[in-house]
Amino acid sequence: MTALEQAQGLLAAWAQETRTPEAGRLDVVIAPEKLVAATTALFDARWGYLAGITGLDAPKSGQIEVLYHFCAGAYVLTLRIALAREKPSIASICSVIPAASMFERELAEMFGVAVVGTPDPSRLFLPDDWQDGVYPLRKDFAEEASHAE
Amino acid sequence: MPSERFVIPIGPQHPALKEPGHFEFSVEGERVTGATVRLGYAHRGIEKACEERNWVQSLYLLERICGICSHIHTTAYCLGVERLAGVEVPPRAQAIRVLIAELERVHSHLLWLGVAAHEAGFDTLFMYSWRDRETVMDVLEGLTGNRVNYSANVLGGVKYDLDEARAETIRKGVDYLEARTYYYLELVVHDPVFVQRTRGIGTVTREQAEWLGLVGPAARASNVARDLRVESPYAAYDLFPVQMVLETAGDLEARVSVRLKELFESYRVIRTILDKLPTGEIKGRMPKKVREGETVSRVEAPRGELFYFIKSNGTDKAERVKVRTPTLCNLAPMMTLAIGHQLADMPMLLAGVDPCFSCNDRSIVVRNAQEAETRWTWEQLRRYGIEVYKCKR
Repeated sequence: MTALEQAQGLLAAWAQETRTPEAGRLDVVIAPEKLVAATTALFDARWGYLAGITGLDAPKSGQIEVLYHFCAGAYVLTLRIALAREKPSIASICSVIPAASMFERELAEMFGVAVVGTPDPSRLFLPDDWQDGVYPLRKDFAEEASHAE
Repeated sequence: MPSERFVIPIGPQHPALKEPGHFEFSVEGERVTGATVRLGYAHRGIEKACEERNWVQSLYLLERICGICSHIHTTAYCLGVERLAGVEVPPRAQAIRVLIAELERVHSHLLWLGVAAHEAGFDTLFMYSWRDRETVMDVLEGLTGNRVNYSANVLGGVKYDLDEARAETIRKGVDYLEARTYYYLELVVHDPVFVQRTRGIGTVTREQAEWLGLVGPAARASNVARDLRVESPYAAYDLFPVQMVLETAGDLEARVSVRLKELFESYRVIRTILDKLPTGEIKGRMPKKVREGETVSRVEAPRGELFYFIKSNGTDKAERVKVRTPTLCNLAPMMTLAIGHQLADMPMLLAGVDPCFSCNDRSIVVRNAQEAETRWTWEQLRRYGIEVYKCKR
């Protein structure tokens, strides 16, 4: 059994859709409220490590997709979660993986995704005078709006 | 009774490297009880900028994420975009990519050795290693014309080829550096002052390293076998394999010795490539537009796993380029590990993961003190560039 088959088994209970975009990769679409449970399952099985969190803004479909990439050797497992663009919010996974803190801070400030329960909600990269409610990695970001007067 | 708690800010000016990052350590006496980090002092908004530039322009931008491991960033990007576009890269080009990547690793590790020595108060070693590092900088300059942003990668291959005369210069440089590395390895385990600053300091057990998600030499020093050159060979690492270097102690001394021992592997691979360089072209044809799709490109930067997520929408521009650098993975665990250590160990502990802040902080807004901000448009910047080079000619 390859590592990806094992991951697929671990996540079977929550998987809404499973895709293999490339060799060595597995994308699993899950509902937002299942994130912590799915992460815990991976963590308990010691399946790889969290390599990063990617935000994808898709204004046309009214969604922000959040991708949690887990790596084990040559394999990459991605948990894909679609959030409503209007008021995106997701639970923190820091209770399971404390090292996710920085990734969550980046996701929150760049995409305006509220990460509920993240231990340190302060800014990580953006300047102190950056205007609240302006999220640079959203597609409709306008540069002029970025600095508070 | 709760004791008095002080918060000691370190940075943003040079907490470890001569790069900006802000750390706050809460202390009880000399003992650290909590640590937080604030980055972004070198944030340039490169990920966003990539969405407004075509595939080729982004390449040059991404090369400037880091001034130390510039080549590895473009390697990760090129490999990903080429895969999305379905472009076949000639083997000679892939071998040259690996050759430059290993030379870059040598330069990066020697630079780090100097920084670590400096943080430990051992400035003679800092001067020595940085003097020797000039050898590899000269080699890189000879090969590509540049010391730092080599600009060797292009989409579809590489820009520079090498002949036997160039190969000979590289061999000579590597021979000299190898002799020096033996000396350094001897020195860092025997010099009592240096050892006092490294042995048993910042120990990370294997379980912690796995759980906290350390990458690169910091992980390998705790016996975690993570090295993408071995686990998932990319570019030409299948033709020119490397041996993974592992240590078990997990302390700062182990992190020093993993890096130094890795240098020998780099020297060996560099020599093998020079002896067995595949013949043929150095560049394949690359379309202007890249078909729709997503890819993950992971490479082993000098500091560990460099992760790129690239999404194409079928045009000549990227929909999204996500960059996750190894330092981001390694800093969070260090904040956890700092707790319980002496405050005086913090610079060494930070230096131990070889943090690279420019890598982490990916728009700079130029402001002069009294006036409103001065920002240049792309067109102004382009014209400025043309003027500067006209004058030089």
